[in-house]
Amino acid sequence: MKKKYLNEAFLLLMAVPILLWSLLPIYHIFLFSISSKDSAFSGALWPKEPTLRNFGHIAKQEHFYLYHFWVQIWNSLWIAVAVGALTLAVASCAAFAISRLKVRGGRTVMNLALFTYFIPAAFLAIPMYKAMGNYGLLNNRWSLVLAMVTLAAPYAIWVLKQASDKLPWELDEAARIDGATPLQLFRLVYLPLMTPSMVAIGTYALLLAWNEYLYGYLLLSHERTITLAVALGHFIAADDSPWELLMATGLVYALPPAAIYYAFRRYMVSGLTSGAVKA
Amino acid sequence: MAPLPPARRRMSTWQTWGLILIAPYVLVFLAFVLYPVGYGLWLARHPESYVKLFNDPIFFRTVVNTLIFIIVAVNLKFLLALWLSGFFTHDRVWIRWVSVLFLLPWAVPSIPTIFSIRFMFNPEWGVINSVIFRLTALDGPNWLNDPHIGLSLAMLTHIWKSLPFWTLILISGRLAIPKELYEAASVDGATAWQKFKYVTWPSIRTLYLTSTILSMIWTLGDFNSVYLLTGGGPADLTHVLATLGIRYIRLDQVDLAMATIVCAMPFVLPLVYFMMKSLSKSDEKSS
Amino acid sequence: MASVSFSQVKKAFGATPVLHGISLDISDGEFMVLVGPSGCGKSTLLRMLAGLEDITAGSISIDARVVNDLDSKDRDIAMVFQSYALYPHMTVGENMGFSLKLRKDRKDIIEKRVAQAAKILNLDPYLHRYPRELSGGQRQRVAMGRAIVRDPKVFLFDEPLSNLDAKLRVAMRAEIKALHQRLKTTTVYVTHDQVEAMTMADRIAVMNDGRIEQLGEPLELYDRPANLFVAQFIGSPAMNVIDGVLRKSSSCVEALGHRWPIGALQRGSEGQAVRYGVRPEHIAIGGQGAVTAEVVVVEPMGAETELVVKVGDVTLVVTTHGRSDAKPGEAIALAPDAASVHLFDAASGQRL
Repeated sequence: MKKKYLNEAFLLLMAVPILLWSLLPIYHIFLFSISSKDSAFSGALWPKEPTLRNFGHIAKQEHFYLYHFWVQIWNSLWIAVAVGALTLAVASCAAFAISRLKVRGGRTVMNLALFTYFIPAAFLAIPMYKAMGNYGLLNNRWSLVLAMVTLAAPYAIWVLKQASDKLPWELDEAARIDGATPLQLFRLVYLPLMTPSMVAIGTYALLLAWNEYLYGYLLLSHERTITLAVALGHFIAADDSPWELLMATGLVYALPPAAIYYAFRRYMVSGLTSGAVKA
Repeated sequence: MAPLPPARRRMSTWQTWGLILIAPYVLVFLAFVLYPVGYGLWLARHPESYVKLFNDPIFFRTVVNTLIFIIVAVNLKFLLALWLSGFFTHDRVWIRWVSVLFLLPWAVPSIPTIFSIRFMFNPEWGVINSVIFRLTALDGPNWLNDPHIGLSLAMLTHIWKSLPFWTLILISGRLAIPKELYEAASVDGATAWQKFKYVTWPSIRTLYLTSTILSMIWTLGDFNSVYLLTGGGPADLTHVLATLGIRYIRLDQVDLAMATIVCAMPFVLPLVYFMMKSLSKSDEKSS
Repeated sequence: MASVSFSQVKKAFGATPVLHGISLDISDGEFMVLVGPSGCGKSTLLRMLAGLEDITAGSISIDARVVNDLDSKDRDIAMVFQSYALYPHMTVGENMGFSLKLRKDRKDIIEKRVAQAAKILNLDPYLHRYPRELSGGQRQRVAMGRAIVRDPKVFLFDEPLSNLDAKLRVAMRAEIKALHQRLKTTTVYVTHDQVEAMTMADRIAVMNDGRIEQLGEPLELYDRPANLFVAQFIGSPAMNVIDGVLRKSSSCVEALGHRWPIGALQRGSEGQAVRYGVRPEHIAIGGQGAVTAEVVVVEPMGAETELVVKVGDVTLVVTTHGRSDAKPGEAIALAPDAASVHLFDAASGQRL
């Protein structure tokens, strides 16, 4: 009996540093967001007078680096949604072709797609930057959208293919006999059955794009086209920037992913690891 | 009836649609993976770029940093992940809540969080040094201005950010092990360590190794952890190959940027090779 | 309503031939059963008729029209799958009406046809349920309903009862047969169960190893099997088969040290090696029996008794009406009914 309590105590003891380690930097963001400039720079662990004024400054775009806040957060949103939608469109068509239509060369395409992930992100970014330049897409929102779709699609196709491989073949045969054309099969049978996976993948792609910094940094430059992430990166340039405003903006920027993650936490865990283990 | 010749491929409509539906992705791949990679390699074809690169004083340092980064950071991360995955597989309600919070560093975007760490370690007004001062009346070290500490902190930041993901992977590996094996081991009188050595480790060893290799490949490309924390400084002493390449691009030295990438290939390609080998070995075992 | 015709149909998967030139004519309104062991090619033949497999050689016609190059949807057929293949995200009603919806038929027409089919199959209360809420038998009926709604020229059944438990199978057999009598649609039915074949078919095609062993009405196959394979496949318990030598002069077959009686023979030569086949119910016991055997096991079934007996090393099954007071270990006299005996050439297996 005593051993059981000792075990529990040990587990609880382990949880403390885990939580501290995980949450400290995040708490720190929160801390700065609600601090005034002086309070933030005093190194206090809790502001003497917590304030929400920083958020007001952000909303009213009252600082040099925040002049285009609303446009920038709109860009982040627009790009994230576009990436989610486009990834879903491209990946669901490809997964359907590979898994149900058994298109010739499908497995090769799948394997080539996954090779994208063997190129370290930063290394693909540089030639991607040059390529986008050649395509004339620099400083155009679509360059970031297409770049992120390229990065999100292979995983999306793989997950959708795994999920659709589980659908019994007879469904396609029955639909064929019922008179379905390939498009009707795709629209009326396949897509409805794939909806849960598609929601997970769409969310994954959306968050991937929203959280992205490096590609945005390279591909977009004008203040009115950059995403909020890139704008936040600019803050660092000067030494006397209002860090508390930066952190407050960062908090705003971090809220959507945190909220979505919290809402989907159960699916995220299972969806991520569904393919990880080959039992 | 006379026998007719073999039937034509009546499946042609279906095959056609297959090609049409896979085309969008293929186009994306051609335009945004194949072309950039090919173009990049073509841009990196001049031997002079490499001479210039090797003569740049920061290059050698960068390579060393990168090696340290992927060897130390990744392995440390995976040891932690292995340990934590054991922790999180205990079936308690409160542990599940802890795991939700544990995943936050991975779920929340890098910009605010890494900047947050950067500010925490600011020597003048960061909370770390403030607390040190309050406790010991001493000035804390000049964290990010020391290249060694800076690099170490970048590695810690990288671990902070990517540990949750890999812990999840190892957790799922552990969960795939049938409970009966542990029960049989208990009956046989095994200690916790023995259970790990004889039940857990053999089952997840392949997953652990392939994940480590994959993580090394991905860590090579981790730009954020270094750039957002130290910016490569002080004096360009904490650069890794990822940030170095970008630095050259910012300086409009495209040739050097591409050369940097090519120089990273001797790291990436063996890793990819080992990954494929490891994956196919596990394929053999399971089939 | 249509006739179906297979002409020298061959099928090969890669280099492996699976069907070796099948020719079969099915008349309008007939219930044809393709039966045989796993791997004999019956399902493949059905799927080629459905358009789900390519035809390597030969031709298939529906209503005198060659359909080799026609897509499934243009052949005017409906198929019931072993695993029902119901669309999980659609209700029963939507499942049944799906084919009409694809053709863009008017909504009221679809509803009417679905209601009609539902009435025939007693599915009215389930029209708004989802497949996952139904039992196996109900799902199978929905699958049949889906086929009926299409009002096709030919019904195809691919082992539809294999996934059901024994009792349900018996009930569904009767339902399918009743449906056929009512709708009179040409039906091609594939099964590995010879009982289903015997009870439901107008004609049976027994298949083995990619060939048709025999084609005929059920009782014809039972009473006059063309070869050993059909003889042992049809009928349960299976026919007893013994190796022996034909003695035409003494009108018997010598086997196991006994003389087994035979009926009138047209073919066969003196001294030919033969296989002597006699069904369990055609062996009388007691009295003037020509063969003595030892009783091994007595299995009282109630209305009949099955006796497992041994002659020498060979085990035979005998079925008698009513009860028997034979006991294990006893000697027993067997009298095979000479008129119901079957003789097959030992080498070719063909009937003599």
